[in-house]
Amino acid sequence: MQADDLENARRTREVLTARRAGLVGCRTCGRVSPAAATGCPRCGAPLASRDAGSLQRVWAWLAAGVIVYIPANIYPMLRTSSFGRTSENTIVGGVVDLVQYGSYAVALIVFLASVVIPIGKFLAIAYLALSVKSAAVIRGHGRQRLYEVVEFIGRWSMIDVFVVAILSALVQFKFVATVNPGIAAVSFALSVAFTMVSAQSFDPRMIWDAYEADDT
Amino acid sequence: MSDPKPAELDIAPARPSPWRNLSFVWLVPILALAVSLGVAWKSYSDRGTLIEITFLNASGVTPGETTLRYRDVVIGRVEDVGFTADLSRVVVSARVDNQVVPFLDAGTDFWVVRPEVGPRGISGLSTVLTGVYIEGAWDEDIGVAARRFTGSEGPPLVQPGREGKRITLRATDGKLLTQGAPVFFRGIEVGRLETPRLTVSGDSILVDAFIATPHDRRLTTATRFWDTSGFSVSIGPGGLNLDVDSLASLVVGGVEFDDVYEGGEPVSAGYVFDIYADEAEARQSLFLRSSAEAVTVAVPFGSSISGLNPGAPVRLGGLRVGEVSALAAQVTDTPVGPEIGLVANLALEPSLLGLPAGAGEAETLDFLEEAVANGLRARLATANLFSAALVVDLVTLPDAAPATLRREPDALPVLPSVPSDLPNFTATAEGFLERINALPVEELMGRAITLMASVEALARAESTVAVPGAAVALLEETRALVNDEAIRALPRDIRDAVADLRGVVAELRAGGAVQSLTDALRRANEAAANFALASEDVPALVEDLRAVAAKANSLQAEELVAAATRVLDSADALIGTEAARALPPALTAALDEVRVTVAGLREGGAVENANATMESARAAAEAAAEAATALPALTERMEKLVAQAEGLVAAYGDRSNFNAETLAALREVRSAARAISELARTIERNPNSLLIGR
Repeated sequence: MQADDLENARRTREVLTARRAGLVGCRTCGRVSPAAATGCPRCGAPLASRDAGSLQRVWAWLAAGVIVYIPANIYPMLRTSSFGRTSENTIVGGVVDLVQYGSYAVALIVFLASVVIPIGKFLAIAYLALSVKSAAVIRGHGRQRLYEVVEFIGRWSMIDVFVVAILSALVQFKFVATVNPGIAAVSFALSVAFTMVSAQSFDPRMIWDAYEADDT
Repeated sequence: MSDPKPAELDIAPARPSPWRNLSFVWLVPILALAVSLGVAWKSYSDRGTLIEITFLNASGVTPGETTLRYRDVVIGRVEDVGFTADLSRVVVSARVDNQVVPFLDAGTDFWVVRPEVGPRGISGLSTVLTGVYIEGAWDEDIGVAARRFTGSEGPPLVQPGREGKRITLRATDGKLLTQGAPVFFRGIEVGRLETPRLTVSGDSILVDAFIATPHDRRLTTATRFWDTSGFSVSIGPGGLNLDVDSLASLVVGGVEFDDVYEGGEPVSAGYVFDIYADEAEARQSLFLRSSAEAVTVAVPFGSSISGLNPGAPVRLGGLRVGEVSALAAQVTDTPVGPEIGLVANLALEPSLLGLPAGAGEAETLDFLEEAVANGLRARLATANLFSAALVVDLVTLPDAAPATLRREPDALPVLPSVPSDLPNFTATAEGFLERINALPVEELMGRAITLMASVEALARAESTVAVPGAAVALLEETRALVNDEAIRALPRDIRDAVADLRGVVAELRAGGAVQSLTDALRRANEAAANFALASEDVPALVEDLRAVAAKANSLQAEELVAAATRVLDSADALIGTEAARALPPALTAALDEVRVTVAGLREGGAVENANATMESARAAAEAAAEAATALPALTERMEKLVAQAEGLVAAYGDRSNFNAETLAALREVRSAARAISELARTIERNPNSLLIGR
């Protein structure tokens, strides 16, 4: 164990960042240019070795996502009217209903997509943003992988929103059955979008800054 | 060695203010927070006020689904359904819009709307699908706010805040006054009755009624209410009167009102009206409006006043001028001792007597005094033909025994009475009834029954029943006639006759006649030979013979045969006619028998036998010719003669009794057949003629 840690520690210490090498990479097309360059000679995107406002944006979008995630869970997601009887379901309430109906698989999917993944994303992004400045439990490569996972999985939280959108569009039988989206649908969609933007705003290059500082 | 260097400055980069580099992105979470807080605040402020309504039962009320409505607009939603502490009632907690909360005061009414089918129609049908809801009703005034309410079992009869007038109705019988029964004004529903209740003393029923604006303006002191429950059937001098109001009032009852005279004073809310049994009674109550002005007089009656009741009308010339206010027995002292008299107190209405308005008791009594002097008397009379009730008639009898209106200071003025002609009338009525009784209704009925019985007996009589049988019997008789031995025997007899004839011819041939004839001829020949020379008369003889032959020849034998044949053909044709065929089987059988008979006639009958006979005769003649070859010419003649003789014989035969009888019988059969045919045709055309005999 210790040997591994030591080996890992040693290896990370050997990290050579682009900034130390006097280079800057284009985040758009991936071309590496000299550090002095302000624009990518290939695609013309502005080049910056580190995005100064990245963390602020991450935190801001993350905060927005968390804020709108609260009404998304309090308010009803679906308003179902059938024969004049109206019932409203929140996200968690819908999951509970599904479990009661015996649809465990669907309940699990909804629960994962609507509860576990968004909350996991909040935590993951927050951790990534915090670990840039302070000591990290997870070493650089782990955090890089975490970041990639978060960025990839973020869009899948939209499943719930799509379900609501499709139901609302299809189930419009006037008196017999009508499904309308609730406030929570909008909130949830916004929450997912905000966290996605938040993840996008994170500059993964900052993960490695800590190791760079160690060596200097 | 080393250049002095300035001390290294401890240059700390200016710590960038966290606010200076603040990104605009932070606006996003702030905005999100603001919106979320706004939504939260809005939903919090919109969630309404929690109120509690208690019901006896809450069937169909579901937390979260059942809505509260006001004028059919959703104003809230049930959040919880529980019980009171002692479980005696159900507590429904509901949130209502803040907009209506100020109006929820003590006068607020809540009830659960459920589907209901009643005599006034179906209500709450929409709740079958949507589930029940709680309806509220309150007035437009903001009162002391309340949060706990007691729900009613049904909608209030009068929606709070509805304009109108609440009055009280008094009835002696509450049987047909039900809660919610309609109040009509000229057939239009203008209000509703509330729950009837007994008065404290228990002698009458009080029920509040609400008359909606603008119809409450119709309520005046001149207004009379009457019961329109159910239907009424009355038979009176005016005929049969069936009165049915609306179907709803038939089931749940109802009252109607109208102004019975013009100029009543408007009444205030809470005014008490009486409910009369029917419209006529309500309108008759008219004179009571100023009964305070009534002048009471006493009338002693000598006879029984059974049938006279307090409230009975007092009429003057048929016009109602007052009513009987009281009946009493009164002991009066007479010279022969105390005597019990019957006294009726009459409340007379001065204005109805034609006195000017405002006429007091004195004027009225003055008027009465003068009228009595002129012969005004009180007399009992029956109210109408069909009732035993009595009324008091004021009649003027100029020839009545003189009397006066006795006015005494401390007693009621006494109006004299005359014996009524009531018994006479009763007698008349009795006579009328007796006459009705005497009408030979029963006899008439008896006769009618007898007539019916006769008709029935006729229809059932054996003769009537036997008519078809008689027809059949007629046919049977016809058949029997045809089957008769005599008729049957005809062909045989004819055949016998022909056989006799043939025998005659055979005898002739056998040596009798022909031989004799031959001999005779021979002798005649000899004689002729003898006389040929001596006598020149042979030609004359021949002439004579010829004449004889010619005469024989002229006999109408052929015609006769033809006639017989025609008869037979006719009979045949008759049998073959459609009419005959259409006859009943019995008749057909009879005709078949006739045909058999005719066929028998034809088979062994006269014609062939006559032919055969003629053949025989011809043979005989030929024999004669052979025998008399010497006299060919004569033989020729003789042959002719024999033939003629044969026709003669036939003719003779035809004219014999036998044949005559046969012809007659056939003719009769023919006419009988025709008659039967006609009968059959008639029956066919008019089958009922069997019954009616025509």
